[in-house]
This record gives sequence, structure tokens and C-alpha cells, in this order.
Amino acid sequence: MYVLYFVSSLFLAQVTEAIPTLLQSIETFVTLYIILVVIGGFMAGTVYQYFFGAGKSLFVIFYLVLSLKSGLVSATYGNINLLVDLRLFLVATMLLSLLGFARSILQAINFMNEKAGLTGFNL
Amino acid sequence: MDVPIRTIGVATTVFWAILILFAVSLVYSVKDLQFGFGEPQTSAAQDGNITVSMPINVTNNGYYDLGSFNVTSTIFDDSGLTIAWGSTIIPVIAKGRAEIVYHNLTLDVGSLLQRDQNYLFDDTQLSVAESVSMKLAELIPVQASGNFSIHWGAPLYNFTLEQPKYAEFNFTHVRMMVPLRFENHASFGFSGDVRIRMYNDAGSLVGTGDTAIEVPQRSSFKGDMEFWAMASLISTTGHLEIEFQTPFFSYGPEVIPYG
Repeated sequence: MYVLYFVSSLFLAQVTEAIPTLLQSIETFVTLYIILVVIGGFMAGTVYQYFFGAGKSLFVIFYLVLSLKSGLVSATYGNINLLVDLRLFLVATMLLSLLGFARSILQAINFMNEKAGLTGFNL
Repeated sequence: MDVPIRTIGVATTVFWAILILFAVSLVYSVKDLQFGFGEPQTSAAQDGNITVSMPINVTNNGYYDLGSFNVTSTIFDDSGLTIAWGSTIIPVIAKGRAEIVYHNLTLDVGSLLQRDQNYLFDDTQLSVAESVSMKLAELIPVQASGNFSIHWGAPLYNFTLEQPKYAEFNFTHVRMMVPLRFENHASFGFSGDVRIRMYNDAGSLVGTGDTAIEVPQRSSFKGDMEFWAMASLISTTGHLEIEFQTPFFSYGPEVIPYG
């Protein structure tokens, strides 16, 4: 994750100079995401690991919705207003995050199922 | 259940990688877009319309095509009414290509001056709303818009009709000269006819004359309106009526007292 951020920030260096809040927003996102990954790592081997996985997906959705202002990002430079419509990008990320969320739920169910099978629990 | 979960995991990872790669490369390629706006050229048509043509140069050295490149300009008068509108669209600017388009804006000077004749005599500022929009990679809409003002130069600025003078005479008529001065501050030159009528204090027509004028853009005009007047009707006071007929505007009769 950090490597991806590092490589991306190299490419985006010129753009982030023009829009300083973009870099700050990406940094906050990466920091919080890494914290969730680390906490999820501590929970490895338990069902909470998957809860944190689901939480990560929801975090991505809500963070992007809030930081991208529902997909319509605007900025003002002097008397020029710049408007970028990122709704398509937002929808794509939300769909992928929902897919990740569904995966985490399935993993949790599978984990509980396997655990029930190991302990010989039957309905 | 492991296989479907793993499949979803792999698919999610692949799509995330594609999405992030696309987003980063798209933002990175924005720096390779270049826009150049040339000096606007003004041309006047015989029908009274003025066309402002501005060359726009778009160079797309990015990784993706640009779609729906659109420049829209709207000019408003003091009261906020639209007096000119123009839009230029380039459907696609392929990557590695440079395009030059001419953004044309047609201003109907005649209707503007008919609506408010202060534009004939007073310089002012007109509001312009400019908008440039495009779709990055033909997917992500981006719009930049701004408001600024442009100078409107009055074609009859500092219009002055001086007192009539007597040039020469015979038994029945007197040749009158009425000095006329104004400054054409407009970005267009114009030619046309000036008609002058002289009335005495009883309201009777004393004389009338037509003079052709030609005034280049941003120049001063100083000339005499000459006509023959009936000597028996001339009084020391009265009024003059002056009318302008040009392809861009018709004005008058403006009543100016003399004496």
C-alpha cells in the first residue's frame, strides 16, 4: 500500500503542487488505511480480521464520498472556477469497495463455517 | 467456498490496480495538455454584425484522447441580458495531436444600440462569461469557467453638434455649415449618411442636407454638415435634427436647439 502511494505521489508531484489539499487528502487516506490494515493484521486468525476487512471497504467508500464531495470537486483560482466531475470514478471505487465488502462477509461466513466444522458443531 | 472468495479477491485486486493506474496516469497526463488562446480578430459584416474570432490551440500530448472539447462565451449588457453567444466544439482531440480552432462570437451591434442608445455615446464595460469544458480520456468531465469584462467603445463618443454658421448666400438661399464632432472609440469603423434638418422658431423646415461620412475605428471625426437653407425662413433660434444611417446602427432624429 505504501509502495503504491509512494509511486503514485511521484507521478502526481506536479499536480499536488498546484492542489496542495489533494496530497493532504491522499496522505490522510493512506495513513488511516494502513492503520486499519495493521489492526486487521493483529486480529489475524479470528473472525474480527474479516470485520476489519469489511470496515476497510466501508471506510474507502465513506472517505471517498466525503473527500470527493459526492464526486463534484470544485476549486477556485482567482476568478476562474474549476469543476471536475468524478462521479464515474466514485461509482467505480464504490462498486469495487462493495465487492471487497462482500468478500469480507463471505470470508467471515466461511471462517465461522470452517470453525464450526472443526468443533463438530451441527445444526 | 475458498475458490469463489479467492476469485473475488483476485478480481478486486486487478480492478483496483487498473483503476488506480488509470487515475494516476490520467492526472499525470493533464500536465501534457497545452492550451493557447490567440489574439482576437474583429471583422465587421455589411449586415451590422461584428464577428470576434479567437484562435484556440489545443495540444494533447497526454496518454488519452480528449473528448467534447467545448468553449462557450456569452456577453451580457449592463442589465444582464445576453447580447452575444458563441460556442465551439471539437468532438475528439486524439492523443499526440494538436488542433487549432477559431472560436467565433457574433455581436449584433444594431440590436444592442437599438435597445440602449447609451452604447452609442458612452464607453462602458461588458460582462463576459467564458467556459471551457472537456472530457479527460473521454470519461471525466472537467469545466473551467470565469467571468471578466471587456471594454465597449462608443462609436459616437463626445458627440457635439455646434452652432450653424452662414457660409455663403444668394438672393433666396443661404449655405449653412454645421460643424459635427465625435470620436469613434469602437473596435469597428463605419460609413454611412448623416441627414440634418434645420427648423426655425415657428417649426418650419428651413433646409435639409445629407452628408456621407466614413469613420475608421478608434479615430476622431470632425466635419461640416453643409446644406442650403431658405433665407426667408431663417430665424435666430430654432432647432436642428440630425439622423445617422449606417450598416451598424440607425440613430435619430436627435433634436438640438440652436441660437
